[in-house]
Amino acid sequence: MAPLITVRHLVKRFGGIVAVNDVSFDIHEGETLGFIGPNGAGKSTVVNCLTGYIAADEGVVTMNGVDITKMKPHERAHMGLARTYQIPRPFPELTALTSVLASSISGKKRINQSFQDAMYDATHYLEFVGLFSKRNILARDLTFYELRMLELARALATTPKLLFIDEVMAGLNPGEAKNATRMIVRAKEQFNVTVFWIEHVMAVLMEAADRIVAINYGAKLAEGTPEEVVNNDDVIEAYLGRGWRNYA
Amino acid sequence: MVEMELKRDRIVIRLGTKKWEWTLEPRYWRNTLLWAAFLFTVPILAYFVSPGLINTMISANIYAAIAMPLALMTIGTGRMNFGPQFYIGVGGYTAALLSIAYGWGPLTTLPFAILMCIVAALLFSPLVIMARGLYYVLLTLLLPLVFLEVTFIYTDIFKGDTGLFGIVPLLDTGNAKNNFLLIGYFSTALMFSYLWIINKVLKSRYGLIMASINDDEDVAHSIGININKVKIIAFVSAATMVGIIGWFYAHYFSTFSGQTYLPLTFMLKILLVLMIGGRAQIFGCVVGGYFIAFLEMLMIRFMGPIQPLLFPIILLVLLFMLPEGLFGLYRKRRYREYLPTIHVRR
Repeated sequence: MAPLITVRHLVKRFGGIVAVNDVSFDIHEGETLGFIGPNGAGKSTVVNCLTGYIAADEGVVTMNGVDITKMKPHERAHMGLARTYQIPRPFPELTALTSVLASSISGKKRINQSFQDAMYDATHYLEFVGLFSKRNILARDLTFYELRMLELARALATTPKLLFIDEVMAGLNPGEAKNATRMIVRAKEQFNVTVFWIEHVMAVLMEAADRIVAINYGAKLAEGTPEEVVNNDDVIEAYLGRGWRNYA
Repeated sequence: MVEMELKRDRIVIRLGTKKWEWTLEPRYWRNTLLWAAFLFTVPILAYFVSPGLINTMISANIYAAIAMPLALMTIGTGRMNFGPQFYIGVGGYTAALLSIAYGWGPLTTLPFAILMCIVAALLFSPLVIMARGLYYVLLTLLLPLVFLEVTFIYTDIFKGDTGLFGIVPLLDTGNAKNNFLLIGYFSTALMFSYLWIINKVLKSRYGLIMASINDDEDVAHSIGININKVKIIAFVSAATMVGIIGWFYAHYFSTFSGQTYLPLTFMLKILLVLMIGGRAQIFGCVVGGYFIAFLEMLMIRFMGPIQPLLFPIILLVLLFMLPEGLFGLYRKRRYREYLPTIHVRR
């Protein structure tokens, strides 16, 4: 598989703290790449750098051979990068349908797309995530699970090539979490997107991910298939601490 | 080339790769037509009953016509501008100075007033990108006050202490009462055209894009909206619309003084129109404009010396009692479609 995104020597510093330290990896087209690490490892910072939300200090990010390191978030969105947030960030005063409509209008420069045409698209994405009956409810009145699904619909409505998912499980009960996972897998199949998935719940990634990249203190620890990564001593040490064997 | 296509219930307009659909639904026109007819019959009634009412109506229309672009600006930039009267000053002074210096009529000064407003707004438009929250409020609050000082410092040009006079009037039929009536209609038409334009913009895709910027700028950026472009366009166009009101004031009164429009007291009235009408909903601006203009007129007529004290108190009480504004009372019952409102931030 050809790499869709290549990240080379990515560095991001916040003052004296090095949040991301020389991270390099590829994202291949059509795969599900899991991204794991303990709290504060720099996972979300990497996503923020890749989507242009914050500027990287050093390093090169290319997409299909095009250098996107200095691009603005909206230009990256037009190229096909979409993201969801760890804590849902809906448009509180917009209804569910209009939230998705906003991204289906502005996600790409589409020829011959009127407001009404975009509305049909938005309805489809809303139906896909199962929020059609809530289309006229303001986003601030939705439940947490519905907000997560709304974010997914909003991200999908930009017709991305690569979808960044930032901890979809956080704050969901087991039933909802199961639905959410199934929804992402379905989205991957139906809309032919590549998924970059940050997650704390390993069971989910073991099942869904094709490859996993693990980082700690901003630096890459391991990369490989899920089995390789969870059996990697460095990864286990990062999660359980040094000397974990004494208690095993 | 623009292509137009008339379908059963809509007009489809194509320009290059863009496509707009303009839905024609006469069943929704009734209320608009009724209100327009009402507002256009009031001046002629007032003409025979009490011509002073036309004056109040003109102020009401103009308050609404300032508040509506301010609503557009607030929604489009996602920031509360506390000094839109700066552009009243720019438009008004441009029209007044040109009219006095060259004896130009209102039609000749209008393009120059618009041009100056565009230039001034473009000059200050980086504020909407650089400043956020409280800093933006403070900076925009200072602009008109600084301009007011400038009119006093360069008093030989701006006549800061006495005001400029001798501006060519907007209309002159030779009869003061007829002038009033015609200007009453003119202000109603101005208010209606602003209402129509801004309503159309806010209900279109551009309105939705502005509403998403108003709600969350960063997320709007990440779903592919070029927020800087949208914010600057919203800022400049709204500022220009406010500037046209300055032009109107200068030619309507034939005098223009920064001291009337630039201080905070005038701005406070506009902000209250915005909030009492219904948190920057544009139909609410019209309701708020009429409410405040007529309340002010009644207070001056019947309350006498305690008016300056009582007027703000009544408005503050209303602000607490009706958080969604006067128009909110109507919308609560008839919730049909999304209309963007101010998103109050901490």
